[in-house]
Amino acid sequence: MTDVLETTPPARRTSRSLTLSVGLVLVGLHVFAAILTLIWTPYEPTAMTGGRLEAPSLAHWAGTDRLGRDLFTQIMIGSRIALFVGAGAVAIASLIGVTLGVLAAFATRTLDDALAATFDILIAFPTLLLAMLVVAATDSASLFSAILALGIAISAIVARLTRILAKRVLAMDYITAARTAGSSWASIVFRHVLPNIWPTLSVNFALQFGIAIIAEASLSYLGLGAPPPNSSWGRLLQEAQGTVYTAPFGAVAPGLALVSLVIGMNLLADGLRDIGDPTRRGRR
Amino acid sequence: MTRRQSWAGWGAGVATAMMLVLGSAQAQEANPNATIRIGSLYEPQNLDNTAGAGQGISEAFNGNVYEGLFQLLDDGSVQPRLAEDYSVSEDGLTYTIKLKSNVTFHSGDPLTAADVKHSIERVTAETSKSSRKNSLANIESIEAPDDATVVIHLKSRSISLPYNLTYVWIVNDAAADLTSAADGTGPYKLDSWRRGSSISLVPNENYWGEKPKNGGVTYTYFTEATALNNALLTNAVDIITSVQSPDSLAQFKDNPSFTVSEGASTTKEVLAFNDRVEPFSNTKVRKAITRAINREQLLNSIWGEYGTLIGSFVPPTDPWYVDLNDVDAYDVESAKQLLAEAGFADGFSFTLDTPNYDPHPIVAQFVQNELAKVGIKVNINIITANEWYTKIYQARDFEATLQEHVNHRDIVFYGNPNFYWGYNNQQVVDLIAGAEASATEEEQVEKLKEANRIIAEDAASTWLYLYPQIVVSSASVSGYPVNGLNSQFFAYDIVKRGQ
Repeated sequence: MTDVLETTPPARRTSRSLTLSVGLVLVGLHVFAAILTLIWTPYEPTAMTGGRLEAPSLAHWAGTDRLGRDLFTQIMIGSRIALFVGAGAVAIASLIGVTLGVLAAFATRTLDDALAATFDILIAFPTLLLAMLVVAATDSASLFSAILALGIAISAIVARLTRILAKRVLAMDYITAARTAGSSWASIVFRHVLPNIWPTLSVNFALQFGIAIIAEASLSYLGLGAPPPNSSWGRLLQEAQGTVYTAPFGAVAPGLALVSLVIGMNLLADGLRDIGDPTRRGRR
Repeated sequence: MTRRQSWAGWGAGVATAMMLVLGSAQAQEANPNATIRIGSLYEPQNLDNTAGAGQGISEAFNGNVYEGLFQLLDDGSVQPRLAEDYSVSEDGLTYTIKLKSNVTFHSGDPLTAADVKHSIERVTAETSKSSRKNSLANIESIEAPDDATVVIHLKSRSISLPYNLTYVWIVNDAAADLTSAADGTGPYKLDSWRRGSSISLVPNENYWGEKPKNGGVTYTYFTEATALNNALLTNAVDIITSVQSPDSLAQFKDNPSFTVSEGASTTKEVLAFNDRVEPFSNTKVRKAITRAINREQLLNSIWGEYGTLIGSFVPPTDPWYVDLNDVDAYDVESAKQLLAEAGFADGFSFTLDTPNYDPHPIVAQFVQNELAKVGIKVNINIITANEWYTKIYQARDFEATLQEHVNHRDIVFYGNPNFYWGYNNQQVVDLIAGAEASATEEEQVEKLKEANRIIAEDAASTWLYLYPQIVVSSASVSGYPVNGLNSQFFAYDIVKRGQ
């Protein structure tokens, strides 16, 4: 493998950073909860098992909502929705973004400039606004329209980064050598470019994952995300807003869930970067 | 919260001490120049009540900027307003209305019979989007024999004509655009409308009647109830026209700085079916759905101890109210049986178009849960208020929807087969038309009670509950209406002490 930028010797990876561990734990908890909901939840998600706005108790760990549904169950399902949306959006963004970014890096000057300008314009649009436009253009709001919208909105950021990274790799001598040796462009992309830009891109994906989760919560908060009864954290927050003075935990709990997952994702991204970046690790 | 309150208490103590020292009660006196700041959640779409402006425009303009020939007062009685006097012919088909003299529009034009004719015809016009258009459909012609007299000829007797005229704004027939400007005869004139934010009204110096008791009114619009409550808590507004959840009341209830008033509401939360389409064209299906929903639990979830259950569209403040809660009381077993009789033993699925604002999404989830128990699958489709208007009210492109119906005496909607929900029962159409043609009020009430019973028996819609009407204000203001009938909010008697 022509692993040029990635210079880390395997032995030094044993010193795992603290940020990475904390990030892994936080994200791991959510992933665990999300997978668990597929087979078990404390209560049926839509069952009205408690009284109106009950405070947290042993029976209802996070209390109940206005309809008497268990909030802890809904927050667990919220983890699943958040991770699903985050993963879906990042997958779409990476597919579109990496393709366009590599294309721009290989393209003629005019096409490259045009693509670069397009990415910049798209990035200038707030992610949420762009996502709202996409949702509005589709027939009705659903989980998939939200994923698609966020994926498209984030893809510009990925594309711009990919383009810059790929250009840097393409300027390397070994690429010239490969070209001279008659390698096809596909072989250059898959054997040289992608493996070299992957570490940096993966850090960015983790960051975008966190952004996608926040954006999905915002869309749901505005009623443009997954329709009820999908218990997205954004919708839980929105529903708890009117009762925040009498039942504050209803707003605090989904807020904590959201913050912990996003922080976890960001720490994970930091940790990944530390592994991929020898200069940073050297300073520690 | 606690610290803020104790500071307020400390401040009040100092203020009391100062007042004792100065021997003056100035802070307690009504200030005739104070601007009353009203906080509302209902910003109108435009400024014309014949152009689909929404309930917010009635709140801001009825009786304040525009007046009708008659006025529906907060106690539910109907009084002449711009009409000085009126007489009805023996056969009940001709109303001769004398107008008040010396009434001028804000633009300076005098009020004439031609303006009145124009104003009524605006509401009944083909292009009008007034939800009350149908109630005035039996006006045959309007004459203006002289400037001060209007003669209305009817096709048939209409006992509620004066009532129906209370929501016809008398506008200047010379005014070109009323969707973004106003020219009425009311005690206030429009000062400015900042879209998305506020409407401010200033006193009309040339008003023909009693001048407002305050120095103007600003309606400030919020999109969110918590923000509205906070605005009152932080003294950014003086009054909240209607409180949207019982939980926000906790902040005001035991606080001497605020006054909480509970009035009679006419706002009904309705699960409206498109009665034209399968399977909702089947009465048994509608009855089954009504019986499958535990409305008492729903009301308690949304409003806690407030609100009322109604078994039909008629609230207790309408003269033809009958307690019909037992017609389709909550009973899951009989709901299942009715579904089986209707041929839906295995249930069916439908899309519930749900406006994206509170309480509709949570009500939709409750309905979804309840109906799942009888095998009916509900898909919730969240839409905006604007989409509701175009998709449901205009295009009738829906299966079922949730909506709050705010109007007073609006059982007449069920007598109109062309209304968005498409309920068509000839007997009800005849009774509602017949009630209009009554010679006496007793006859009218009798017929409407009968119509009311039939729509309940038919479960024309599912009437989930009646909202409470709760107005909260700063303790320094008083004189505001508490019932909010037809969403009106007369501002001219409101007084504010202090600044």
